[in-house]
Amino acid sequence: MINIFDGAMGTILQADGILKPGVCPELLNIQSAQAIINVHKQYISAGATIIETNTFGGSSLKLAQYGLTDKVRAINIAGVKNAKAAMQHNGKVAGSMGPIGRFIEPLGDISFDTVYKAYFEQASALAEGGADYILIETCIDLQEMRAALLAAKDAAPGIPVICQMSYSEDARTVTGTDPQTAAITLEAMGADIIGANCSTGPEELLPIVKILAQNCKCPISVQPNAGMPHLINGKTIFPMHPADMGKWAPKLIEAGATFIGGCCGTTPAHIAAIKEAVSGLADPVRSPLPHRLALTSRTKTIFIGTDLPTRLIGERINPTGRKKLAAEIKAGSFISVKKEAVEQTNAGADILDVNMGVGGIDQTAAMEKAIKEIAQIVSTPLSIDTSDPKALEAGLKVYPGRALINSVSAEPDRLKYFLPLAKRYGAAVLCLPLSDKGLPKTGSERVAIIEKIIAAAKQAGLQDNDFILDCLVMTVAADKTAALEVLQALSLYHSKFGYPSTMGLSNISFGLPDRPLINSTFFAMCLAYGLNAPIMNPYDSLMKNTLLAASALNGNDPHGQHYSLTIAKQPHSETAAAAEVTPRNIIEAIKHSIIVGEKENIAQMVEHALKEGHTSNEITENALTTAMNAVGKDFGAKKIFLPQVMLSAEAMREAFLKIKEILPSQASANKGTVVIATVKGDIHDLGKNIVSALLENNGFKLIDLGKDVDSEKIVRTAIENDADIVGLCSLMTTTMTQIDKVIASLKKAGSTAQVIVGGAVLTQEYADSAGADAYAEDGVIAVEIAKKLTAKRKGSQAL
Amino acid sequence: MPIYNAPLKNVDPKETRRYAGLANADFNEQAIVDACNEMTYIAEPRGSWEIYDYDNEQGIVLASPLFKIQGSKILKHLSHSKKVVLLAVTIGGNVENFIAKTFHNGNYSQGMLLDAAATTAVEQTADSLEKNIDAFTRPLGYKRIWRFSPGYGDWDINCQPQMLRLSNAAMIGIHHTDSMMLDPRKSVTAIIGLVPEMDPFSPQKPSCATCQQKNCHSRVKKK
Repeated sequence: MINIFDGAMGTILQADGILKPGVCPELLNIQSAQAIINVHKQYISAGATIIETNTFGGSSLKLAQYGLTDKVRAINIAGVKNAKAAMQHNGKVAGSMGPIGRFIEPLGDISFDTVYKAYFEQASALAEGGADYILIETCIDLQEMRAALLAAKDAAPGIPVICQMSYSEDARTVTGTDPQTAAITLEAMGADIIGANCSTGPEELLPIVKILAQNCKCPISVQPNAGMPHLINGKTIFPMHPADMGKWAPKLIEAGATFIGGCCGTTPAHIAAIKEAVSGLADPVRSPLPHRLALTSRTKTIFIGTDLPTRLIGERINPTGRKKLAAEIKAGSFISVKKEAVEQTNAGADILDVNMGVGGIDQTAAMEKAIKEIAQIVSTPLSIDTSDPKALEAGLKVYPGRALINSVSAEPDRLKYFLPLAKRYGAAVLCLPLSDKGLPKTGSERVAIIEKIIAAAKQAGLQDNDFILDCLVMTVAADKTAALEVLQALSLYHSKFGYPSTMGLSNISFGLPDRPLINSTFFAMCLAYGLNAPIMNPYDSLMKNTLLAASALNGNDPHGQHYSLTIAKQPHSETAAAAEVTPRNIIEAIKHSIIVGEKENIAQMVEHALKEGHTSNEITENALTTAMNAVGKDFGAKKIFLPQVMLSAEAMREAFLKIKEILPSQASANKGTVVIATVKGDIHDLGKNIVSALLENNGFKLIDLGKDVDSEKIVRTAIENDADIVGLCSLMTTTMTQIDKVIASLKKAGSTAQVIVGGAVLTQEYADSAGADAYAEDGVIAVEIAKKLTAKRKGSQAL
Repeated sequence: MPIYNAPLKNVDPKETRRYAGLANADFNEQAIVDACNEMTYIAEPRGSWEIYDYDNEQGIVLASPLFKIQGSKILKHLSHSKKVVLLAVTIGGNVENFIAKTFHNGNYSQGMLLDAAATTAVEQTADSLEKNIDAFTRPLGYKRIWRFSPGYGDWDINCQPQMLRLSNAAMIGIHHTDSMMLDPRKSVTAIIGLVPEMDPFSPQKPSCATCQQKNCHSRVKKK
C-alpha cells in the first residue's frame, strides 16, 4: 500500500498571516489550534493518509529558544490532538521530531545523553497524545538520529519509528553519511521505516531512495522539497510546480518508496498531484538482501561475507604488552591511539579493533574517549574489544555507526549483558566459542558452543546478518591438533551457519621458534578453509604477502593481477643496506653531509675525523662553517629553501654535539653572544626559533628568551651577559612598536650590543627609523649580519 | 548550530609544502607527508559560527551591538551580501607546544614542516566549516563568497574582539591578546558574505595583490 504524507506547514501559516516573525510555530498548536487543524484538513482533502504533527521543533532544546522548555508535553500532545481532530480516524498521525540544532560531541558541544533526554521527553508526549508513528525527520547527522531513534523506541514502545535523514546534492548528509550506511545502521538499531526528506528535490532523492531500498528490509519513505530554492525579493521560493512533482512520484515508488509526501515548498496541490500520480500503483518489488555482515562508521560501510575478499581486522590498538601505549592511555593521551588508527588503515586494515585494557584506569571513560577520537580521524569501522559491559556500552553509544562487539562467549554474564547491548545499539557480534565449562578441544565442540550463543542472540532479537564466528586459536606447541581443529571449525562453521569467520592467528605459534613462519603458514591454511576476516597486525608484510598469494591461489584475485602489481612495487631489501662510512676525505664527506642535510651518519663521521687526527677547529672551519656558507649562498640564490637550510642546521647540530661530547674543552667556538626574543605582546615563535637555531649552529652563544618578552627583561639580559648582538622579532603591526621601545631602553641602559631586527611586517625603513643596527629579511641573512656586526663590535672594542 | 568541530582526517601535503616555502624544491616528500600525518594526530580542530543580517549599504553587521566593518576591500567584497556568517576555527594549543618541543629537540626542519602542516590544518578546518554552513544557508537561497579575515587587505585586526564575540569563539577556547593576536596561535576568524543565489556577483578571491605582507615567501610575484 502506498501511504501519502502531507506537505509543508510553515509556509501556509505564514501566507495566512497566522505565523508571525519571532513566534514559536509549535506554540500555535495551543494558541491557534483551529488554524493548525485547518491546514491539516487541506492536506487531508488533497489526499494525505498520514498527517504530520506541527511539532518539528517541539523538543526542549529547540523550545528553549522561546523560553518554552516547560511546555514540551503540552505542545506535543496538542500537536497530536490537532492532527487527530483533522483526521477524524480516516488516516494516521505521525508525531514529528526535527533536529535539535546542535551537533553531538565530538562534532559539536552537546552530549549524546542530553540529546537523548530531549527526544525522550518529546517522544513520550507524542505517544501520550496518541501518535501512530514517531517521525524523526530532516536529520543531518547520523549520531543525532541514533540518539533520537533510541529515545523514540524507549519512550514509545510499540509505535513504529520513521527515520528520515536529509541528504545534500552529493548524496551524503552534512556530516558525510551516505544512504547505504544510514540504512544499515538504522535498521540494525530497530528503525521501522527508513527514508529521506528535505534539502533537495525529487530528482536528487531518487537515487537515494534506490540505495536505501537495496540496503535494508524496512519500508522506505521519501518527502522531497519542491525543487532547489531561490531567493527572490528576500523570500525563499521553491520553484517546482505540483504537476512536475507528480511526475516524479511513480519513479520514487518504483525505486522502492511506499511512503511519499512533500517537504519545504510543497502545498496541498503538490500532495494532490502526488496522490493522483501514484493511485493504483502496486507496491514496488524489492530484491532480497545478500547474506552478509555489514559494519559501518559514520561515512562508510564494510561488508564481510563468505563470497567477498578477505577483510583485515587491525589488532594494534591494544595496550596489552605495549608499555608505551599503555602509559600514554593511562596519562589520558590518545595521540598514539589515533596514529595507530590512521596507520593501520593506510596499511590496509578494513576494521579496527579497539581495546583499552590498561590496569588501574577508568576503562569506561578510556573506551568512550578512544572511540570518539578514532571515529573523528578515520572512516574505518570499529570493533569494540572489552569484557566490561559498562565500557562496551560507553563505546557503542558514542560510536556513530554499527560497531562489532569483540566478543560474546557462551559465558552467562556475556550472554546476559552483551547481547541486549548489541541489540540496543545495532552492533554486530563476534561469537567466541568459549563457555563456563572451559576451552573446546575439537571443531565440533566449538560448533556446539556457537550454537548456544546464536540461540541466545536470536532470542535477544539479533538476526542472521549480525554474526561473525571466531575459531578460537590454541597453541600448537601444547596440542598437536590445535591447528587442525581450527581448520575443522572453519569447515563446520561454513557448512552449518554460513556466517563469516574470524580469528586471532598468532596464538598458534606461541612457544615455537620463527613464529612468523608458523603464523603465515597457518594463515594460508586458514584462508584455504575459508577464513574471512583475520584479526592481525596489518603492518606485518609476511602476513600481507601471504594473503596476497593466497588470494591469487584461491581465485579471489583473478590471474594474480593484484598480487603481481603489489609485489612489483615492493622494494628489494638487499638494496636497502646502509653504506659503511669509508670516505676518502672525511672533511669533504662531513661538508657534503651538512650541505645535503644528512644528519644520520654525521656523528660517526666526526668521530672518525677526530680519530684520524683532524682537530676540532679544522672540522669546524673546513667542514662545518664552509658547508653552512655554501648552504647560505644557495639559499640566497633561491636554489634551496628554508626547510632545506634547517636540515643542514640539524646536521650541523649533530656534529657540534659530537665534538662537545668528545672534546668538551675545544667545543666553545664562540663567535659572540646573542640575546634573542620575540617582543612583548607577540606570541609568534617559529621565525625566532629558526634564527636562533641557525645562529647557534654557526658558533654563536645563544640566550633565547622566548616569545612575548618585555623590554626590561631583554635589556637586563643583554647587559648582564655583555651581549654582542640583540635579536628582536615582531610579526604584527600591533607589536612592532615594541622594537622601538627595546632599542631606546638598551641605549639608555648603556648597552653596546648591536641590534638586529626581523619579522614578517618589518622593513629596512622601519628598522632604520627604530634605530636598529640591521634588518634581516631571513634567518640566513641574520647569520651573515651577526658575523659582520660581532666582528665590527670586537674591532671597535679593541681600539 | 554554533559549534562544528570538523573531523581532520588528513592534511594536504601540497598546501603544507607551499606554507613551508618549499615551492617546487626537490625535498624529501615523505618528511612532508609525515608532518601532515602527525598533525592529524595532535590537532584538535574546533569551529564556531553565527549568521547575521548585513546592511551592505552602510557595511554594518546587524548584531547587537552593531558591528561596523571598516576597510575598503572588505566592504567592496561584501557589497552584495544580504547576510554574513562570522566564523572562528582553531586546532588548539597543544599543536604549538608540540612544534616548539620538536624544534628545541634539534629537529628544526620537522618543526618547520609541522608548523606549515598546522597552518594547512587550520585552513582545512575553516574549509570544512564553510561546507557545513552551506547546508544551512543554501536551502535559504544563498550562495557563499570567499571568506575574508581581519588583517587581509586594509581590514584592521583591531576588530578581533568583535569577530570573536560574534562567532562565539570563546566556546571553542579562542581569545585575543592585547596586541590582537589570536590565542591559540593556530586559529582563524573570518567573515563570509551570503549573496542571493540569483545574484551573478562573484568577487575575486583575495589574493597576494590585496595583502600587505610584502616580504611573505609565499607571495606570488607579478610577471
